[in-house]
Amino acid sequence: MRYGGDNRGRLLIIVLIVTSLFLITLDLRGVQVIDGLRTGTQTALTPVQKAGSWAISPLRNFLSDVTSLGRTRNKIEKLQAENDKLRLTLQNRKNADALLKQLNGVLDLAGTAGYKVVGAKVISHGSTTSYTQSITIDVGSNSGVRSNMTVLSGYGLVGVVKYVYPNSALVQLASDPAFRIGARIAGSQQIGILSGQGTRRGVLQLLDNRTQIRKGDVLLARGSQGGRPFVPGVPIGSVTDVDNSPGAVTQTADVKFYTNFSTLGVVAVVVSGEGTDPRDALVPPKPIPTPIPTVTVFVTPSPSPTN
Amino acid sequence: MSLRSFLYSTPIFLTVFLLQEAVVTQFRLPLGGFNLLLIVALIWAALSTPEIGALTGFGAGLAMDLSQSSSGPMGQWTLVMIIACYSVAFLGYGDDNIRANPINIVLLTTIGTVAARIVYLVLGILLGEEAGNLQSIFWSLAGTAFWTAIISPLLLKVISFIHANVFGLSSRI
Repeated sequence: MRYGGDNRGRLLIIVLIVTSLFLITLDLRGVQVIDGLRTGTQTALTPVQKAGSWAISPLRNFLSDVTSLGRTRNKIEKLQAENDKLRLTLQNRKNADALLKQLNGVLDLAGTAGYKVVGAKVISHGSTTSYTQSITIDVGSNSGVRSNMTVLSGYGLVGVVKYVYPNSALVQLASDPAFRIGARIAGSQQIGILSGQGTRRGVLQLLDNRTQIRKGDVLLARGSQGGRPFVPGVPIGSVTDVDNSPGAVTQTADVKFYTNFSTLGVVAVVVSGEGTDPRDALVPPKPIPTPIPTVTVFVTPSPSPTN
Repeated sequence: MSLRSFLYSTPIFLTVFLLQEAVVTQFRLPLGGFNLLLIVALIWAALSTPEIGALTGFGAGLAMDLSQSSSGPMGQWTLVMIIACYSVAFLGYGDDNIRANPINIVLLTTIGTVAARIVYLVLGILLGEEAGNLQSIFWSLAGTAFWTAIISPLLLKVISFIHANVFGLSSRI
């Protein structure tokens, strides 16, 4: 039997509906009591919600992962791609910073000596030709580079241009076994011939056997006629060991090149060095030893115990 | 409704309200999820007399108005829930074909939740609230129907048991 209701029931419904309409009216009129009621409820609920959030979070994360599995995978792939891109950018930036440092060094050196240089970027280490120790640079005849020109780094001599192409050039490194350069010792002006050994170390053969050579002496390029293939005054390296065998016909010494050939990024080709001789101006300054800090400890004897 | 029944019902609905606010709202369910208090109140009303249904709607609506997810003025959900719960109770009361059949109660509850939300929406528009576009309204209502149809069968047995104990009735679903 369908419920028809009675007067009491109808009255209750009317009272409840009027109450709700009363509440709506109060709220819309901005009565403070209603706002306070809501604020109070929220204040009381906040700790419960925090506890609920803490308790539910593992399950929620699991459900979220399940429901958005495809999206999560896409997001991971996207973030990985972005990460790779950023890493590459950072690597390029570090590379660019290193190249800039090298360029600053080489321009400082060329500027001090008064050489006119063309900056170049090393685009290849090694060569497909017969040279065992060579690099390829990104400037060539179009930039005024010719064969038998001196190539510098920020630390000193790199080598000599051997072959020139319109937009590139092959440079024979000073470390190449076939490389020879007339060198002089800074200060004493003793001369000799330095030859590459395939490593960062070369061998100096002095022409005058009576002169003395010492460990730590700095070698500079003697220079060629017309500044080609070598401009004068370019730092080459320093003497690391001297062979003073009594029976030797000539005095020889081991030399460590200033330039680290394996880390070359930016070099400069001296396109005009004729008439400029910086003499010993390019000799690198000797390293200043860092003073070792000393600590002085004062010990005050404790008073003897008294009985 | 005796004082004893009222005293028993209050903590039950308070617990459901806390569960809704602290647990259910934490899940980011598709299609907008569900409102546990709305479903429980409608099932409770479907098992009760119209007067108790109206009172249940009043209490549940008041709690829903206090919820932080409620955007309307205080009393809007109260009014809607009084009407919805009374209507559901009115339809079910005295008709054993409805009350004795769980499927009918689930159907009644599902229709009741959708209807309550539609009434709330219309009332909100009349009070000058933003309703959103038709597509989002449609999906929201569809989500409500979907989740209610899923959740209410799971809750029905428990609510029926509690309801029978609170009101001292021997018949249970």
